[in-house]
Amino acid sequence: MIQVSALAWRGFAAFSIIFMLSPLFILVVFCFNESPLLNFPLTGFSLRWFDVVLKWPQFLEALKNSLIVSATVGIVSTVIGTMTAMGLARLRSGFASTLMSILTVPFMVPPLMLGIVFLSYYTGWFDMPLGLHTVILSHLVFTQPFVILIVNARMVNFDFAAIDSARDLGASGLKAFLSITLPIVSSSIVGAAMIAMALSLDDFLVTFFTIGGNNTLPTFMWGMLRKGVDPSINVVATFIMCLSIGITLVGLRITRYRG
Amino acid sequence: MRKSNLNRRLFLIAPSVMIFTILFLIPISYFFVLSFWQVHAYRLQAGFTLDQYMKVFSDYLAPLGYTFMIAMTIALVTTTVAFTYAYFCRFKAGSLGTAFLFVALVTLFGGYLTKIYMWKIILGSNGVLNSAFEWLGIVTDPITVFLFSPFAVVITLTHYTLPFAILPIYGSLRGISDLPIEAARDIGATPQRVFFDIILPQARVGLISAFSVTFLFAAGDYVTPLLVGGPQTSMIGLFIQSQFGHRLNQPLGSAMSFTVIGMCVVTIVFMAMLIWRATRSAK
Repeated sequence: MIQVSALAWRGFAAFSIIFMLSPLFILVVFCFNESPLLNFPLTGFSLRWFDVVLKWPQFLEALKNSLIVSATVGIVSTVIGTMTAMGLARLRSGFASTLMSILTVPFMVPPLMLGIVFLSYYTGWFDMPLGLHTVILSHLVFTQPFVILIVNARMVNFDFAAIDSARDLGASGLKAFLSITLPIVSSSIVGAAMIAMALSLDDFLVTFFTIGGNNTLPTFMWGMLRKGVDPSINVVATFIMCLSIGITLVGLRITRYRG
Repeated sequence: MRKSNLNRRLFLIAPSVMIFTILFLIPISYFFVLSFWQVHAYRLQAGFTLDQYMKVFSDYLAPLGYTFMIAMTIALVTTTVAFTYAYFCRFKAGSLGTAFLFVALVTLFGGYLTKIYMWKIILGSNGVLNSAFEWLGIVTDPITVFLFSPFAVVITLTHYTLPFAILPIYGSLRGISDLPIEAARDIGATPQRVFFDIILPQARVGLISAFSVTFLFAAGDYVTPLLVGGPQTSMIGLFIQSQFGHRLNQPLGSAMSFTVIGMCVVTIVFMAMLIWRATRSAK
């Protein structure tokens, strides 16, 4: 009986892993495939698609823009969102929960509509030139609720007695935060920062409407998709993927996150 | 002391509130007002009319219903799979739990367009799955029903949202201490009672956020039905885009968007109450 359930769990885990990873794995495999056709059997190992993409100045520009936007958005929204979660944590009143529900409203709005709204707001109301700055501002709107929710979810089960003891024993608010709160919630904060960066890096629709004539990797990839399927898209997609996984690994290492 | 504490809290909250108000509340309110206006001879006319909403419910009821069904399917499948996976990581995988969670973390960052594009490549009639099947001799004629179907939309969006659903559920399961579970077992509680009375009540916040994120994302998505959905997948996002795009009817586009948002809010509130009740411990 016990063995049957263990077997079922293993089967489920294997199936889930295959489902989650196979598209990413296939993507990488086809990056190195000689043939311009995206199907089996594979025809041979080749780096020609990397060569094509890396010689493209527009690609390098999009890569640089993506790095600037996602790093800025990740840092700013994590700081701001964590501050808010901390500020709200001990306000157990209706005020805290009301404010939190209000701040999370932006992710109820479909990204398509957000993009259209931002575009007409910046250009129609302020005559603001579009560029990376408008993309960053727009991304903050939908990344900060994620940070607040994630950090707050951790604070719900948080034991404030430890902080009160530290404060009673003379620790400053900052010291109590750094030595007690931060170690306990750090994994949530890093998780939140990674989600913010990933959302920013992945975002296509809001970026598409607010970036003007520039490109980030997703809008660059969209341009390629519209021209038809070409294996060099795989290379661009792989860059997006590797960049994000790189961010994750660095984040995990910094916080010594252990699950 | 008390007053300075309050001030400090308000200072902590201020930046978020400013971003929210200036960058979101003001423009979105304008679009809300716009949904009560109308377009005459390609020009916006201010006023107050429910015409746009009437039009949404008369002309676009079918895509709305369709979008609801698709989003509900995706949200239920994803939340169930995500809970099972998170439960596996927390309670069944032992020391490998972290490694399994890591897989979910990694796929969180695959890229939105990338994933849609990959499923298009995988499911296509000349695609990866069909060519692999033919190569292995499993089928002789390509299976054409995979791509450009509601099935492709469900698979693609489930794949995309799964890590976003696993993380909050795992987050709440992680907060459960082993102590009460062991204590319950020691005094003779069955695994079922431990599950329903200790684990599930503490997972409810995670379950509700997983369902909400997934449903919202699926209901409002536009690129997935466009790239893998095919003509019969008439999701509302496609219609919203055309109102703002070549049809230049911003009031109708706004009314459609706010109708979708309203549908999401009602669904999520209802499902949150349902989940909250269903996960109450039987005392």
